[in-house]
Amino acid sequence: MSDTLLEVKDLCKYYKTPKGALHAVEGVNFSIREGRTLGVVGESGCGKSTLGWTVMNLHESTGGSIFFQGEDVTHPTKAQKKVIHKSIQMIFQDPFSSLDPRKCVSDLIAEPMKVMKITRGKKETEQRVAELMDTVGLARRYAFAYPHELDGGRRQRIGIARALSVEPRFIVCDEPVSALDVSIQAQILNLLQDLQEERGLTYMFITHNLSVVKHISHDILVMYLGCQVEKCECEELFRHPLHPYTKGLLSAIPIPSIHVDRKRIVMSGEVTSPINPKPGCRFAARCPYADERCRSELPQVEEILPDHFCACHKVRELNEL
Amino acid sequence: MSLLEIKDLTIHFPTEEGDVRAVNGISLSVEEGKTLGLVGETGAGKTTTALGILRLVPEPGEIENGSIVYKGKDILSMQEKEVQDIRGNEISMIFQDPMTALNPVMTVGDQVAEVILRHQNCSKTEAQKRMVDILAKVGIGADRAGDYPHQFSGGMKQRVVIATALACNPKLLLADEPTTALDVTIQAQVMEMINELKAEFQTSMILITHDLGIVAESCDSVAIMYAGQIVEYGSLEDIFDHTTHPYTIGLFGSIPSLEKKVHRLQPISGLMPDPVNLPTGCCFHPRCPYADERCAQEAPAAAEVSPGHLCRCHYWETVRGKEAEDNV
Repeated sequence: MSDTLLEVKDLCKYYKTPKGALHAVEGVNFSIREGRTLGVVGESGCGKSTLGWTVMNLHESTGGSIFFQGEDVTHPTKAQKKVIHKSIQMIFQDPFSSLDPRKCVSDLIAEPMKVMKITRGKKETEQRVAELMDTVGLARRYAFAYPHELDGGRRQRIGIARALSVEPRFIVCDEPVSALDVSIQAQILNLLQDLQEERGLTYMFITHNLSVVKHISHDILVMYLGCQVEKCECEELFRHPLHPYTKGLLSAIPIPSIHVDRKRIVMSGEVTSPINPKPGCRFAARCPYADERCRSELPQVEEILPDHFCACHKVRELNEL
Repeated sequence: MSLLEIKDLTIHFPTEEGDVRAVNGISLSVEEGKTLGLVGETGAGKTTTALGILRLVPEPGEIENGSIVYKGKDILSMQEKEVQDIRGNEISMIFQDPMTALNPVMTVGDQVAEVILRHQNCSKTEAQKRMVDILAKVGIGADRAGDYPHQFSGGMKQRVVIATALACNPKLLLADEPTTALDVTIQAQVMEMINELKAEFQTSMILITHDLGIVAESCDSVAIMYAGQIVEYGSLEDIFDHTTHPYTIGLFGSIPSLEKKVHRLQPISGLMPDPVNLPTGCCFHPRCPYADERCAQEAPAAAEVSPGHLCRCHYWETVRGKEAEDNV
């Protein structure tokens, strides 16, 4: 499609550890269209943050390719790097550790603009900082406050203002609301949605919270131990999950209503180690349907239904397709 | 008679900047075999309340007022020795963060056995035997009893913490966000286990959480806390189906729903107040859409909306009517 902003093909990222290769991301494929949000969901250690870091080129990928606006940026040249870092920005998970404690709010927001040489002169920078503070809903009286004086919600607003300051087209949001209380979380989610509508931003939204991801995403990618297990449109995923892991994950969310009656699929066991993983399906050890083939052969991602991708040997049998 | 009855509990922390008013006159009761959900955001005073029940409020905190009556005796007027015999024995606590609640230089088996040796009059061999039993109950095999906490994953550590809490068959369990640090699938396993063990031992529980989903699944009654006060208190049905306090309504509006598609969330505007400098009148008035002059001056008393359903709001009838209108 012509308006595809980012495309990732067979992306792999391994880390060397003393015990062997840690397969953090393995063969992930997706594309994001301009102005849309791709939600990336999974439990801790499934490689969702690594995926974000690799897409942003903060870590170099081990295999596969990344295309930004149709251009191959897997191993970017210096000139390409400049473009990428200006067009792709990131909002970090922890607003407590991602801000320099010795810089005040206005310096923090001005920093990326100075580095990228976007504004000329002090006056223009100051004006841009004031505009950005208005955009993200930070009162101007906080311009000279330090991060430790502010609460989590306001700090996260600084993080968003920093990301916006270079006018990116694509923002990787790495668990931007997980450290916040629900009432503040809702404020930040609304802000991110407003910004997307106003500026046509494209998001990759990484989270472990399924209700948040459902609220904000157009498409969802479910990951398990570095592998992509399912990918489809948001509504479709919640209506017809195909992969046994997705089904278990969805049924594990406690619903805040006393009128929901549903059967919970409690998954036994825990996530296995990503270091030198066994050859079969990563989920086989916890999957109630796993057989010999699942334990010996890694399933490939297939388009099971139109626009609905799933990596499971038994998906057709289990869903009677 | 209730197993535990708290009346007007007030806990303050005097500091150089002024009194941190963490808990301001809360009253609640826990019935035998039932679960009470204590819900609120960071800084609402949930954990301080639980620590108050065990008389473990850290320095410089002081319990200024109130009574905590357990089985007819006031914990606050007991001798330290008496409290020690109850703590970890009849009333025990599951701590929030399993990573820091365990002793890193002691095997998990010894940590569980320690509680049994302290409280149950038994020999070392007997304690070992019971330790193995209780670990098996939470799904940890005897072969792992000699391992240290760092050899366990987060979910397994939380199981050890739960085993320690359940080691002496407590009558009352204080579970402080027992699953917040865990992934959803592990959370489901742990909650199911807690509920099974609770049913087996007829234990009462105070479940502290900020997740209304967990409350809906595990609790019998609910207390919603805000700025050290209980703003709404009632049965599960009262709180979920007949929500009355504007703060509770705001909490529900903030959660993205899995069932309905809403385009925008309805968050509560503003921030939690500073406990050193609480607002006058009703603590929630600066953030409340219904607030007026009266709310800023006069603190509302708990009004009885229906039998057993209490709400601290001057205008609960108006709020109620408005909500009913919106739902039509």
